Amino acid sequence: MSRFSRSFWTRVLILVLAAPAIIFPAGCLFYIIMQGIGAWEWSMFSIGGNQKSFGMSSGIWPQITGSLILMLGANMLALPVATGLALYHQLSATTRQRILMQVLLQLMQGIPPIVYGLCGLVVLVYMMHWGVSVLAGQVILAVVILPLLVLNTVHAIERVDRGRTEAAKSLGLSHTAIIRRVWLPETWPALLTGLLLGMARALSETAPILFTATVFSGVVWPDSLFSPVTSLQSHIFYLAQEGGNDQARGMAWVSAIILITLISTLSIAATMLRRMEVTHEHRF
Amino acid sequence: MYRYLFISLFAITVASPVWAITIHSAGSTTVLPVVSAAAQAYHASHPNVTITVSGGGSGVGIASIVQGTAALGMASREIDEKEKAQLGDGTQVVPIAMDAVAVAVSKAVSLGGVKQLSVEQIADIYRGKINNWKEVGGPDSRILVIDKEASRGTRHVFAEAVLGNAHARAAGASIISGSNNEEQAIISRSNSAIGMLSNAWLNDEVRGIAVVVRGHGVLPSIEHVRDGSYPISRGLHVILAKDAGPEVRDFVAFLLSETGQKIVEKSGYLPVR
Amino acid sequence: MWLNVAMRLSLILASIGLFVMPGFLISASFPFWQEQGLKPLVGAEWFPYEGLFGMLPALVGTLWSVGLALVIAVPMAVAAAIMTSEMAGKKQRNLIRFGMELLSGIPSVVYGLIGLWLLLPWLQSSFNLLSGHSLLAAGILLSLMVLPTIMVMAEDAISGVALEQREAAANLGLDWSDRLFLVLLPQAWPGIRAGILLASGRALGETIAVMLVVGSMDRIPDPLYNLLEPAQTLTSRIGREIGEAAFGSIHFSALIACGFILAIISVILSLVAHTNQRVRV
Repeated sequence: MSRFSRSFWTRVLILVLAAPAIIFPAGCLFYIIMQGIGAWEWSMFSIGGNQKSFGMSSGIWPQITGSLILMLGANMLALPVATGLALYHQLSATTRQRILMQVLLQLMQGIPPIVYGLCGLVVLVYMMHWGVSVLAGQVILAVVILPLLVLNTVHAIERVDRGRTEAAKSLGLSHTAIIRRVWLPETWPALLTGLLLGMARALSETAPILFTATVFSGVVWPDSLFSPVTSLQSHIFYLAQEGGNDQARGMAWVSAIILITLISTLSIAATMLRRMEVTHEHRF
Repeated sequence: MYRYLFISLFAITVASPVWAITIHSAGSTTVLPVVSAAAQAYHASHPNVTITVSGGGSGVGIASIVQGTAALGMASREIDEKEKAQLGDGTQVVPIAMDAVAVAVSKAVSLGGVKQLSVEQIADIYRGKINNWKEVGGPDSRILVIDKEASRGTRHVFAEAVLGNAHARAAGASIISGSNNEEQAIISRSNSAIGMLSNAWLNDEVRGIAVVVRGHGVLPSIEHVRDGSYPISRGLHVILAKDAGPEVRDFVAFLLSETGQKIVEKSGYLPVR
Repeated sequence: MWLNVAMRLSLILASIGLFVMPGFLISASFPFWQEQGLKPLVGAEWFPYEGLFGMLPALVGTLWSVGLALVIAVPMAVAAAIMTSEMAGKKQRNLIRFGMELLSGIPSVVYGLIGLWLLLPWLQSSFNLLSGHSLLAAGILLSLMVLPTIMVMAEDAISGVALEQREAAANLGLDWSDRLFLVLLPQAWPGIRAGILLASGRALGETIAVMLVVGSMDRIPDPLYNLLEPAQTLTSRIGREIGEAAFGSIHFSALIACGFILAIISVILSLVAHTNQRVRV
């Protein structure tokens, strides 16, 4: 009797503790969505509509494209390097090199994005005279997501049955052939998952691009890679400081749900791909 | 197929139309609305010139000219000797408007009876010697003293007029804010706040109080800036780098033109011409 | 052949980055350390114009906000992980996990909005504060942000405890709560600990949301456990001042030094998390 009730009370305790962990975040998400829907106006999307000085009432397209440009550029820069590193890790590295690479990548992942932002500010913006520019932001974001992409690729390849890789190697297949015939067919969903997560990550960072790539207003479409942009993230940040202005608040919430929608579309796609990968593996 | 896609993507992002010119401006959030509005008007008549605007404060405006990250700096205070040396010869500091730095309080404080303060009282509040509004004839509530980031122009002008030194410490401060917008938001949300704010940011929730000069309370207003009676006033400037191109100079001329000065007036400042 | 070239190229690129980063952090903060020594680490006054760069308030604020975030988030997250892995059905489990992954994707700047417009007014009225800006606000916001991270990792660790161990525990006649506290949690602890360390790294480096709610006041909490007054953290200091500090000045160098300290703390955290993982293997 007493034993039963002890387990029972433990369960109750855990449920009580766990409830806020589910309720509060879900409540936040719900609150954001409600605020965003409440403030939603289609005129926010009309190009060249009622442009006002703070960029609050102008169409939000420049911010959306700015975020996407930064995100896509970062992934285009990071992907080749990440793939190269992962292949080196799997094909040519000695065991010691592998461990070293793994440790360094994990360290890189742990370093706060703002530190990368600082490095980028000094090296790219000031020392290389790129100025506050799209390219600086893309490079910094690329460095931020690089460890994620490499580790993901490495794990994907490691999940491939070791026997199959060994068999391919003993048959004398070249590295290129191993990649094409053995690894790629099995790992592509995982690789794509990683890419999607990298995109989501690049979209959710604000601090590293705030001083290196974005400006307050005035940009509709960047002229070149050396021009600044506006982005949804920094837009929300600037609007956040204008709590006294209802219009600004509304715009901030709308920007927030657009950003969250973009990010969750990417991560939902990633989750679905991961499921696909699981069923895929079961075939063997 | 992919190659073409790639090349066209590359062409879109890299190749800029030769005739398009982008001017970057940065600095004071007090000057920002003027430059931002003027930038849009200027863009309408000169479609090949785009002017980007970012804030950060007067210190950022000066620093970005020194570091060459902007072509047009904005500053809501005078440039001191050290900064003049950093900027070097050939840099132009052009006043485009005049403004009052208001001593702003929450609506509840104003309704509670605080209509005017002497410079000494304001200084005592910022030094932490006065902590409660009832000590200066207001409601019985602790004072939320809002200080600004050290580089902000408003902070310089205010601290110089009230505390005697632009970089003076404010031991009584309870919070640090950044842009005018941020400060305005904090004051309007509180019911016991005092802060320093450009005259143009005052509204029903955020009220300017009179500063006592020789026994008379003077309210912050454009009129009192014009006749020189308000004690905490300042010039709003744009800074031109010495290698500024003709487009930047033309834009500054536009700011000083009749249309430009109309924008200054509409933004709530006193035109210089 | 081309493959080798490509691999080497990316290796070279990455190693350049690897050397540039710490090299830059050391060289750019060097003038500061040279002028000030290690004194700023224990100094309480930060007045760049007077040449005073005491970092203690920001360090204390950083530790408090991270500590507070963990104190709030860890019990809730671990309980939620136990609930989903041991008490919920497969469907509910998938649903909750999916939700958590969604939540971990909410960008920090959006949490900043919630902090400013929901949390601060609430704190202000319920604790009768001047403004809600405080370490408590930062801690609560950070706990929301790291909750999904800890929960997902803890859940992986708990459901990863081998079936044999569970069966052995059941055969010994242990009841549910004993199995949980004597077998599952100790077995899963390395994974949970790694999750906590990862989360503290994230909380440590969080900038935007903290900067908006912490008040940016360079003051050590007085008394030390007073979490209801505005304070400062390393990240919020960098975020607020990096734009204004002239490149090459001591002030700029001091801010890089703040970044350097952040990087060192985070490297130590990940090293601890990593060694721990290796012990498990």
